[in-house]
Amino acid sequence: MSAVLQRNNVKVVGKGQQPMLFAHGYGCDQNMWRFITPAFEDRYKIILFDHVGHGQSDATAFDPARYGSLHGYAEDVLAICRELELKDVIFVGHSVSAMIGVLAAIQEPDRFDRLVLIGPSPRYVNDGDYIGGFKQEDIEGLLDVLDSNHLGWSSTMAPVIMGNPDRPELGEELSNSFCLTNPEIAKHFARVTFLSDNRADLPKVKTKALILQCSQDVIAPETVGRYMHQNLRGSQLVLMNATGHCPNLSAPEETIAIMEAFLGEPAPIKAAAE
Amino acid sequence: MTIDQGALTETAEELYESAPCGYLSTLPDGTIIRANQTFLTWIGMERQDLVGHRGFQDLLGIGGRIFYDTHFAPLLRMQGFVNEIAFDLTCADGRKLPVLANTVQKLDAAGRPMVHRITLFNATDRRKYERELLLARQKAEQATEELRRLNETLEERVAQEVAERMKAEEALRQAQKMEAVGQLTGGIAHDFNNLLTIIVGNIELLQRRLPDGHERLQRAADHAMEATRRAATLTQRLLAFSRRQPLDPKPVDANKLVAGMSELLRRTLGETVVLETVLAGGLWRTQADPNQLENAIVNLAVNARDAMPNGGKLTIETANTRLDEAYVEALAEPVPPGQYVQVSVSDTGTGMDKATMEKVFEPFFTTKAAGKGTGLGLSQIYGFVRQSNGHVRIYSELGEGTTIKIYLPRLIGSDQEPAEALAKRPAMVKGAGETILVVEDERDLRTYAVEALRDLGYRVLEAADGREALAAVEQHPEIALLFTDVVLAGGMNGRALADEVTRRKPGLPVLYTTGYTANAIVHHGRLDVGTHLIGKPFTYAELAAKVRRMLDGA
Ligand SMILES: Nc1ncnc2c1ncn2[C@@H]1O[C@H](COP(=O)(O)OP(=O)(O)OP(=O)(O)O)[C@@H](O)[C@H]1O
Ligand SMILES: [Mg+2]
Repeated sequence: MSAVLQRNNVKVVGKGQQPMLFAHGYGCDQNMWRFITPAFEDRYKIILFDHVGHGQSDATAFDPARYGSLHGYAEDVLAICRELELKDVIFVGHSVSAMIGVLAAIQEPDRFDRLVLIGPSPRYVNDGDYIGGFKQEDIEGLLDVLDSNHLGWSSTMAPVIMGNPDRPELGEELSNSFCLTNPEIAKHFARVTFLSDNRADLPKVKTKALILQCSQDVIAPETVGRYMHQNLRGSQLVLMNATGHCPNLSAPEETIAIMEAFLGEPAPIKAAAE
Repeated sequence: MTIDQGALTETAEELYESAPCGYLSTLPDGTIIRANQTFLTWIGMERQDLVGHRGFQDLLGIGGRIFYDTHFAPLLRMQGFVNEIAFDLTCADGRKLPVLANTVQKLDAAGRPMVHRITLFNATDRRKYERELLLARQKAEQATEELRRLNETLEERVAQEVAERMKAEEALRQAQKMEAVGQLTGGIAHDFNNLLTIIVGNIELLQRRLPDGHERLQRAADHAMEATRRAATLTQRLLAFSRRQPLDPKPVDANKLVAGMSELLRRTLGETVVLETVLAGGLWRTQADPNQLENAIVNLAVNARDAMPNGGKLTIETANTRLDEAYVEALAEPVPPGQYVQVSVSDTGTGMDKATMEKVFEPFFTTKAAGKGTGLGLSQIYGFVRQSNGHVRIYSELGEGTTIKIYLPRLIGSDQEPAEALAKRPAMVKGAGETILVVEDERDLRTYAVEALRDLGYRVLEAADGREALAAVEQHPEIALLFTDVVLAGGMNGRALADEVTRRKPGLPVLYTTGYTANAIVHHGRLDVGTHLIGKPFTYAELAAKVRRMLDGA
């Protein structure tokens, strides 16, 4: 297996030709797509992966400088596309990965057919008239909770807390076996995610995009979904019945139906897209 | 008394309500549909305000809320349960209640999430303890980091020191090599000198005894003599390098010495090289052998000339300088800090690269064509200067030129005029029948000296060692001069013999002879004040002049 595929724990399934690339959001790993992908396996080639530092990715490949902004993660997405020689990609990104897909599509527009953006936000922190939903200091609150939970996580595992953080096999014995993230990387990713500001990138997108907006999503409120819609030319906004931030988990049927409707539409003619 | 069994057994209801933990049931979207009394008490809310109206996530602070949406809820959905999640619940009065939550997801018949059962533990103490642990770990990490940084700079410091040490050791090795080469060449040169003395003596004998009319033989003898002189010069230079040449240090005014050499230097340098001398006013005097200093300057001038085949400029400068502690400490050879008279010779020639510069003091190192250079010039200068307690330094830039600085210690005290100022009187060369005792353990050398002196018109007594010599002194009170080798076989060296003889005959002049100086007669390579020495190989004429001067009391 190539270095990139190993680094990002890339999995390829499905019987179809057109690639559908799923990118998990903050706090999770590729497992979060388990209720969605079966619906597309017959018609698409499904590509799943973990961001570096998450799930079963190679955490030793984590470089705080490279992943100091979302561009580093977008680079990884493109590297996977190149490695698998993907064309006409349908990119499905949740939460922060929606913006990672936006950045990748700006960089290599020809590679992408469509963008499916679930709970996207170009900026989480309020800024003047822009309402992202958070104040700067809220991020500190999150980091605090992360600290507490890594403590809880590890207090059952004294060796981990008292300086044995590089024994991954201990992690496997932990009671929560999904979405394991190295505590330091989790905090780093939290900062990068919640302090990102990609509003200026939105007008550069040429790929046709679908925005799935949940009701009562604290992390990406409706105002943010509308902002996305206004600034992504030719985008489609769907307000979902699903509540919370993870409709792919809490309302997979609704999510699948909306995606099917979007993908069923004829592909846009790129030159004429506006 | 009858006991109502039912009243004795706690009901499930009682267990649920008053358990030491909080129980919550919520819909998959978080809406609370059931809560036990323990939980309501903890949080300070009425059942009707909570149940059906609030989501579990609404009880969390913003950080907890994000965590709920991004970690807790997805994990629960995927895994079916989540254990030991730390949350801070916001109580009715605004207090924060730290809890740990274990949650199980119940599915309906179709496998869809139906309800979440949440068990909450009051984790005030544990979380406090964890905070302390976290703090302790952060402190430990900080300390480790500091230690690491310290170690890093330590490594750097050690590396630096090792580099310095290695440089010093390299310099020391170089110095030791010079020392070893010096001893070796010194030993050879010494033996050579003895042989040359015999050769010279015998050639002179031939020259004097050849009857007139044998011109071809005369010429042959002259050639032999000439070659021998060249050989003698060579051994002389080797001895100089090995710091074993007999020096005759005197107070020297380097300005006068340089000024006196200008004619000689101009002739040496030729037409294309401009000579400039920059002589410092108020220059201190130094203590050195003036002949050797002149010799050194000539050698440097010749080197400079060779380095400027197309002409250039030669500058000779004098100056008063101080070598401070820091400077001398960096030197491989021991040079005491203090005041020095500096004589420097600079040229505008080819200069030297680093590799050449490191080797120039080694004997026989030369870059000049065979026959053009022997590679002894700088070696000789080095030996002379070191023997004079001074220091030599080379500065050279490839393509720019070279400066060689000689530092000689300042002479403090004695204000006597330099002895060299005394003009050499024309010597009364011939002997007038005075009696001379010759002591020399080597037979050929003794024979040579004895014959030479007899030839000059002296009466000569001879002895092979100290014992014989003392016996001769006893029997011949007429002895007017003792001529002795410094190194004698038979237990008594020349110095001890002289001491004993002069004890018996106070005022008797003593002339020493030696190949080199590393022995009793010489303190650190210098003659004791008032001792006379004739270096081997000496010529007939030199011997004649020296003996005559001593007998005449010069
Ligand atoms: N002023 C100078 N400029 C450039 N190179 C020099 C200078 N002085 C000395 N050297 C180099 O140092 C070498 C050694 O010099 P040194 O005086 O010891 O021997 P030599 O001049 O070669 O021979 P000798 O002096 O015995 O006739 C020279 O061959 C030359 O390469
Ligand atoms: Mg020379």
